[in-house]
Amino acid sequence: MSEFIINAEHQPPREVNRAIRKAAREYSKITIKNPNAMHYIAAGLVDPIELVIDGSAGYFAGTMIHGAKIHIRENAGWFPADNMTEGEVVIDGSAGDGVGQGIYGGTVVVKRDVGSRTGEIMKNGTIIVGGNSGFMSGLFMMGGRIIILGNISDDAGESIIRGAIYVRGSIKSLGKNAKVEEIDDEDIKELKELLPKYGFKLEDDDYNSFRKIVPRSNRPFYGKESEEG
Amino acid sequence: MCGIAGVVFKDKKLHPVGNALTKMLDALQHRGPDSAGFAIYGGLGLEENEYLLNIEVKEKSGLLESVKNTVNKATPIKKEEIIPSVENYIIYRCKIGLKSFSELKPLIMDIDKIDDVIVLNGAHSFEMIKDVGLVKDIASRYDTRSKMGTHGIGHTRFSTESLVDRYHAHPFQSYIIPDITVVHNGQITNYWKIRDPLERKGHIFETNNDTECIVHYIADKLSEGYKLEEALEQSVIDMDGPFSYIVGTPDGVGIAKDQLGLRPGVMAENNEIFAIASEEVSLREVMDTHDIDQISPGETRAYTI
Repeated sequence: MSEFIINAEHQPPREVNRAIRKAAREYSKITIKNPNAMHYIAAGLVDPIELVIDGSAGYFAGTMIHGAKIHIRENAGWFPADNMTEGEVVIDGSAGDGVGQGIYGGTVVVKRDVGSRTGEIMKNGTIIVGGNSGFMSGLFMMGGRIIILGNISDDAGESIIRGAIYVRGSIKSLGKNAKVEEIDDEDIKELKELLPKYGFKLEDDDYNSFRKIVPRSNRPFYGKESEEG
Repeated sequence: MCGIAGVVFKDKKLHPVGNALTKMLDALQHRGPDSAGFAIYGGLGLEENEYLLNIEVKEKSGLLESVKNTVNKATPIKKEEIIPSVENYIIYRCKIGLKSFSELKPLIMDIDKIDDVIVLNGAHSFEMIKDVGLVKDIASRYDTRSKMGTHGIGHTRFSTESLVDRYHAHPFQSYIIPDITVVHNGQITNYWKIRDPLERKGHIFETNNDTECIVHYIADKLSEGYKLEEALEQSVIDMDGPFSYIVGTPDGVGIAKDQLGLRPGVMAENNEIFAIASEEVSLREVMDTHDIDQISPGETRAYTI
């Protein structure tokens, strides 16, 4: 595997992203040194490379990527992996609001806590949060799955249309159109296959303590429930 | 958009707070290019009932003398300094003594009556520096990096509704009680609902800026006996709109974030420093930490020394 290193120190995001796109034509792995919580790193990257951000990223890290695997070694700001269509973003630390906002596919993993509105308007894909997730997680969620290993805050699944939010800890309150269901064997099997891949080591009892938040209705705002889903 | 920052050195000793805030604000420069400002607490070393006035004066023949005459009529000027600024203005800075804090606001209002003159602030326990332009330029103009203190707050401004000038640069100060300042990112959408009761209590508003409304609100609450944390918590209940703001007091700093969490705020601390800011990039200028806390919607944090 060939690797290329980009030093982001004193460079604007535009220059860093230009360097990433150029290097992605020749190298399968790129490491960004000294990212210093810079915004927009790897925005719009469509090459299926491995990208390591050796520190913290700012807002919109990996926004609109298609196919890249991004590993952020510290924290991320607001909206990491926003509108990702395919790929993987793994954040070793914590992240801000809107993790995985609007993703169409791929997987976002945050090892620690995240801010509010996790997975808002996501259409598909998977978001895994190792810690707690804030206010209105799953807001207007339209598909995919969110897995929260810690607690979820107020108005969880606000106006959720499709998809599911798996929560191991407490659910502070539910949003409109959200309800809680017990998980079944199929759900547990799915979680057991997925979580260890990202280093989450859970006991059987831990898996059994998950519940899932799903929509009450697929047509909560207009039309008849029977018309869809 | 605006960037906000605050830092406290926990040992209560003097530290290069000006340098810390300059770095924190420079890292947030992308959040607002219009103006920037600092409130650096604890380093002025004034005697009891001494105050430092910062007065914006247009470069016009005889105008500075009028200002000095007005001040001297009220109280003798003990020390003075002129700091060149931009757009044909200077900042006239003078140290004065007053019998009590209650004389400060009336004196400021007297000076403000002079055309082309406006008092940016008057303070006892903190140094206010605010001007139009970029953080680095203001830092050079006022030598902010050399300023010592125990704690402070700062702002870089992207103006939305009110004017881009020195007075509307943050921090804003209230004179309801001494030395309360606020920097703010966002809008208070029930502005008049907050302002009306404060005006009915006799508090004076100089602008229509919502940040001025916040600083009077907090100062009013503190004057009623609320602790800083309690005042911040009550503000989150009373105020609508997207906001996160930082308060500076002679004893510490605090942050409040709106109930929908529509404006950012992060914090980090270690044994020496408590720091809050709009973004992690700012915190990293004063602290090498991996532990960044997101301020949650409706949450407040404060640190007093």
